[in-house]
Amino acid sequence: MGSVRSDGASMDDGAADIPVLAAHKILIAGGFGAGKTTLVAAISEVRPLLTEERLSSAGAGLDSLRGVAGKTTTTVAMDFGRITISERLVLYLFGVPGQERFWFMWDELAYGALGAVVLADVRRLRDCFPSVNYFETRSLPFVVAVNCFDDAPHYDAEEVRVALDLDPDVPAMLCDARKLSSVKTVLTTLVESISAADPGPRRMVSALPPV
Amino acid sequence: MPPDGRDGKWVRRDLGPVVRPYAVTGGRTEPADGEVLDLVAVVVAAGGNGGAGDDPIRQTPEHRKILRLCQRPVTVADIASDTALPVGVVRVLLADLILQEAVRVVRNRPTVQLPGQDVLKEILNGLRAL
Repeated sequence: MGSVRSDGASMDDGAADIPVLAAHKILIAGGFGAGKTTLVAAISEVRPLLTEERLSSAGAGLDSLRGVAGKTTTTVAMDFGRITISERLVLYLFGVPGQERFWFMWDELAYGALGAVVLADVRRLRDCFPSVNYFETRSLPFVVAVNCFDDAPHYDAEEVRVALDLDPDVPAMLCDARKLSSVKTVLTTLVESISAADPGPRRMVSALPPV
Repeated sequence: MPPDGRDGKWVRRDLGPVVRPYAVTGGRTEPADGEVLDLVAVVVAAGGNGGAGDDPIRQTPEHRKILRLCQRPVTVADIASDTALPVGVVRVLLADLILQEAVRVVRNRPTVQLPGQDVLKEILNGLRAL
């Protein structure tokens, strides 16, 4: 069978009876405690997903690596949700851990992603700077959603846009990560902005296939 | 390895893993074919019985479980979730099955190009209908 292992949309020949499954990923980024888990749970079927975290030098002395020679990772759970659009079209949400020690995962997750949501908490706005920088650098379409915590001071979306110095084509909005309707608006805004963007060669991540 | 490997039922998920993750790969941490499948890569059993009977010695209960999930096109992330195995382990086991031609990759990445307007519209409509 001529399976297609490279990038690209070409389907295998001779697979006529198999329904084509199109899977797209959207990243949910933001600092620790910004509400990524809450947002994923509000809109998708949450599923357990284990992945690996590279052991930091701090952890390396503590965690025994005996029996897994050469391994420098440990298993962690990540935020992962599935939105079934149709039988043949599925959207996956992946929470991207904001802490630096998870950064090695970003390129892999971002590769081929549809776009991203950067969740911001106005009390700790700078926590989302790395995410904004990352997606700007990679030209991956993204929206900034300010999660309105009950006890946080109120800023409007424009103030946040100015504070983050966002490009005009990057939507910024307020949201409540606990509410389906609010999260729906965030995701539809993202997809609309992708749809409105100039078609053309994919701008992003071509340089960095996962290692 | 479960002594009763028919479907590993005694390994209850809520008890957590009973072996360290890479024990089920024989300690291997890299896919045998060197290809790292994307989390949303779509794979499917390669027809027939998926070659499950060809070389049973080389297939562990985890291999067979993955093969069963591959009877329909399925993503790597869903396999990892359904088997409660870490993604890295699933990649290693899937690579074995791909080399055995029991499983084939329908599509590794979503697309290099942005999806077309029709797909984006379908996603939008789907989201609004939630």
